Amino acid sequence: MIKYHPSDALLQAHVAGELPLSMSIAVSAHCEMCQVCQDKVHKMNAAFAQETLEAEACTETDLCEFNFDSMLEDIMSKPTAPQEVTPDAMVEVNGEQYKLPKAFRHQLQDSWSGIGKVNRMRFDTAENKARASLLHIGAGGEIPAHTHKGQEITLLLSGDFCDEYNEYHPGDFIVMSSEHEHSPRTNSGCLCYTVVDAPLYFTKGITKLLNPIGELIY
Amino acid sequence: MEAKEQSMQAQEQKQLIMRVAQHRDRQAFGALFKLFSPKIRAFGVQRLGQQGLAMDLLQETMTTVWTKAHLFNADKGAVSTWVFTIMRNQCFDMLRKVQHNREDAFGDDIWPLFEDVESGDGMSDHKMSDKLLENMDKLPPLQRQIVQGVYLQELSQQELAERLGIPIGTVKSRLRLGLEKLRSYLEKHHD
Ligand SMILES: [Zn+2]
Repeated sequence: MIKYHPSDALLQAHVAGELPLSMSIAVSAHCEMCQVCQDKVHKMNAAFAQETLEAEACTETDLCEFNFDSMLEDIMSKPTAPQEVTPDAMVEVNGEQYKLPKAFRHQLQDSWSGIGKVNRMRFDTAENKARASLLHIGAGGEIPAHTHKGQEITLLLSGDFCDEYNEYHPGDFIVMSSEHEHSPRTNSGCLCYTVVDAPLYFTKGITKLLNPIGELIY
Repeated sequence: MEAKEQSMQAQEQKQLIMRVAQHRDRQAFGALFKLFSPKIRAFGVQRLGQQGLAMDLLQETMTTVWTKAHLFNADKGAVSTWVFTIMRNQCFDMLRKVQHNREDAFGDDIWPLFEDVESGDGMSDHKMSDKLLENMDKLPPLQRQIVQGVYLQELSQQELAERLGIPIGTVKSRLRLGLEKLRSYLEKHHD
């Protein structure tokens, strides 16, 4: 059972296409795993589309007068496009294969880096501040007690992890901004997507939870 | 009253897109173009901040509408929702280029279009459908035990390993085999 969801404000920003890539991936992947948010986004999308595109007649004179004939001709000279078959997002780490949500399709890099039970795959999102990565912790793995000051988002993709305060399940979308000390661990191993230093204003109003994964390993 | 008008509009748009899809109807496409182009351009100006880029957004969006009209699925939503999805995705990619100088196309991964087809079976481990579980009884007992434990009793893999006194790796591999088998039953069932 998924217990932690993105806020409605965050879902709305996602639908509007206003979030940066790192955050868009997190919300999209959560929605693929969470029927509740999927339904919400479906409704928001239709409503936002309506608002944006269902227009009254053209009022901008410059636009009405613009001659679109050549653009129209150009477009209509194109043949129909074939139906695309999209590949699954598969990733392998420590001998385990995972099928990830679609948002990860073109993000996966070849290499993991890490020590011991902790492995990380950093994504190249070209964002200035936010750092996005996949994080794998092997069975029985533990992150030493630590604190964290920045905003951080964790989406648990597979497996389990818990800390002194909570137990998390696949699909849980966890926002952390606490400076509490804690030491998260996993029994059967887990795969997460994390965004650290996510811009603050995007996550305002979301339940504040404790940070499960330390800054040490980023 | 207003809602009625809106659904009239939606019906009309659906007719138009069908005509494009089935007959490559140029007049119908022209009508859709006229309907959506001012709004797409306005959205483009607002997001991309340049008339030129807004025109690119318009051209790209409407090109997709023209070339993929036959893939539009009316069961999945309104024409406006479909066009908006195409536009927003395209705009996202254009914005990445403007802001980060990246020529990537991730929009359609993040907000899948209606017509997307899965290459696999369309089911992932976190979404076990009831259909899949219908075939549970056909599984070999050792695999059934694990699949039932995880999906019906909601035990963690570690808990199962402890209860059954087997290594966690064995739990994982039995689970994987069991799920694969369930899926293959389902595929056969569909054929
Ligand atoms: Zn959710």
